[in-house]
Amino acid sequence: MIIEISKLNKTYAGHTVVDIDHLVINEGEMVGIIGNNGAGKTTLFRMLLDLIRPDTGEILSKGFNVAESDQWKNYTASYLDEGFLIDYLTPEEYFIFVGSLHQMSVADVAEHLKKYQEFFNGEILDSGKYIRDFSKGNQNKVGIVSALMQNPELLVLDEPFANLDPTTQIRLKAHLKQLKSAQLTTLISSHDLNHVTEVCDRIILFEKGKVIKDMYTTEHTLNELEDYFSR
Amino acid sequence: MLLTFLSHQWTGFWRSKSKTGTVAAQLLMGFLVLYLIVVSIFVGYSMEEIIEKLLPGKELMVVFNGMILYYYAMEFLVRMQIQELPTLAVVPYLHLNIPKQKLVNFLNISAIFSPFNILPVFIFFPFIVMNIRVDYSLFACIMYLVTILSLTVFNNYAVLYFKRLSTGNIKIILAGLLVLFIVGGLEYFNIFSIASVSNVIFQAICSYPLVAICFIVLASAMFLINARFLKRNLYIEELKSGAEKKSSTDYPFLDRFGEAGTLVALEIKLILRNKRPRSTVSKGLIFIFYGLLFYKSNVIEGDEFGKMLFAAIFMTGNMTLLYGQFMFGWQAAEFDGLLANKTNVRTFFKAKLLMLTIASTVLTLITSLYGLISWKLLLLQFAAYFYNIGIGAVIVLYFATRNYKYIDLKKGSSFNWQGVGASSMLMSLPILLFPYVIYLPVAWLYNPYWGLTAIALLGIAGLFLRNFWLTALVTSFNTRKYKIAAGFREQS
Repeated sequence: MIIEISKLNKTYAGHTVVDIDHLVINEGEMVGIIGNNGAGKTTLFRMLLDLIRPDTGEILSKGFNVAESDQWKNYTASYLDEGFLIDYLTPEEYFIFVGSLHQMSVADVAEHLKKYQEFFNGEILDSGKYIRDFSKGNQNKVGIVSALMQNPELLVLDEPFANLDPTTQIRLKAHLKQLKSAQLTTLISSHDLNHVTEVCDRIILFEKGKVIKDMYTTEHTLNELEDYFSR
Repeated sequence: MLLTFLSHQWTGFWRSKSKTGTVAAQLLMGFLVLYLIVVSIFVGYSMEEIIEKLLPGKELMVVFNGMILYYYAMEFLVRMQIQELPTLAVVPYLHLNIPKQKLVNFLNISAIFSPFNILPVFIFFPFIVMNIRVDYSLFACIMYLVTILSLTVFNNYAVLYFKRLSTGNIKIILAGLLVLFIVGGLEYFNIFSIASVSNVIFQAICSYPLVAICFIVLASAMFLINARFLKRNLYIEELKSGAEKKSSTDYPFLDRFGEAGTLVALEIKLILRNKRPRSTVSKGLIFIFYGLLFYKSNVIEGDEFGKMLFAAIFMTGNMTLLYGQFMFGWQAAEFDGLLANKTNVRTFFKAKLLMLTIASTVLTLITSLYGLISWKLLLLQFAAYFYNIGIGAVIVLYFATRNYKYIDLKKGSSFNWQGVGASSMLMSLPILLFPYVIYLPVAWLYNPYWGLTAIALLGIAGLFLRNFWLTALVTSFNTRKYKIAAGFREQS
């Protein structure tokens, strides 16, 4: 088990946003987190990344409380929103910066980026633009690739398919499937039931901060989820 | 339509997220404008006495005439710094069924409501009405007034035009600076004088009032040029700045500092590539002329360092004070990312100290030119330098861990109170007062040189204790980091 969440609670102005009694994520799992707006997905991710302090409870990453030690940063890569990007850098500068935090040389970074040339579709590198001048979809691509580039053991992506064009969505799905291994645990939140059921092998459904369903994906999962959401 | 635009602006102002801040800022602005108006009225009514007091024996009209172009030249420069472009407000209307001309009219008319446009009325009108009507004719007086108004209108639209031209275009700014230096130089070497040109022109208006028509034409032309430029460039992408190709850069000399160096490089880019920090820092550079005000020869000879200490600390440490007061708000937009990334808080603070040290070192080297006046100033400034890097930087960073305010990097820094809070206001007090607490008793008990030595030693002691400070700062940061990150997420 890589992540263990226990008695986690976060309340804003009397409104419970996250309320998880016990939840365990195992190594090598690709987990899809779904739920309507306000289900607490992003808040959960932020607590997992030690950006928000839980009111009660704790999140253990490889046995260490994320709020107490920086240990988890060594093997965790994440992209939640544009707030993770440094928007006055060019994409290259940003990749090199993130790479340098993981002791990657400029050449390492360049080598790594080669793998994503197709994913970038020729729009990101050598574009002569700062990140702030890109469209949301392209900013998303920069964020996702910079997370993948860190060779993480734990990957956290908040709605990675949002704002992406159809081609890139398909490529990202294929790439995530290909990344699946016993060494990589992935947490993905999404509103697109098709995508998550296709990519993830475990789905956790949240509603108002609580875990409603937690299941391993089968061929019936999609129908089951569609039923749930169309109620 | 115009009224609709105005009512939208009005509701926008009252519903803005940082309402209390904006209202307070506007109130402060209001008082400042009111103060300026009162001063202008006073100056306007007592213009005669003021001229006689300051330049006794000179002919009144010659001085007054000579002053006017000076005033407008200065005003132009100040406006370039302060007057804001009202452009971006129109973006949400561009795609609607509103004729472009109406939008342009709105922009042009709203540009008239600037305090700059009333001040000359108060400053110049009383003198003109009281003197020229008597000395020349009523017609001359009216035309003189019309000229003043025309010049004001001309300046108003010229500034907007040049600002629009130069958003993101550094060449125009450089060219403007060059012209300024040349004119200033010519004036300094008495080759050419704005005052005499101004005198000739306004003398002509008094004698042949119809000359004023030239100025009306000039002002109308400027208005039309600006309006035409606006109409032709009213596209979202052109209202934004900078279409030129951006390239990646790196600063190899920072590599030797490891990860902290990488973070410093990042912050240098932040400063160079964003409007607000860039203008904050470039304004700070103006303060290196403080010495000309404070370093007086009798003060230097008397070893009265106390009178110059403030200037020395401010000059060698203005980056620490001006840029540091909004730390880490500059990085508010990407703060979540910085925290979630594999950066260590200690390295983060190390980088901040390194950056402030580099900035102070550069400023100290530049201001060392004051050493040409007297070697004593070098002692003074180096004492101030050690204090700034040893103590000042730490105090700034300590206050930075109590700053929760997001800063929008895209806005200008003049009269921009976003991010100003109790911590940023209070911060400069201890930094500027503390050296006096050390200097004054030592200088009084022993002598002024020991006073300076005490300040320098304190700073050096601070440098040796850096590891201790770092630990303290990291602890202080860790207890508040969620609050800081939450504050930065609330963008206003």
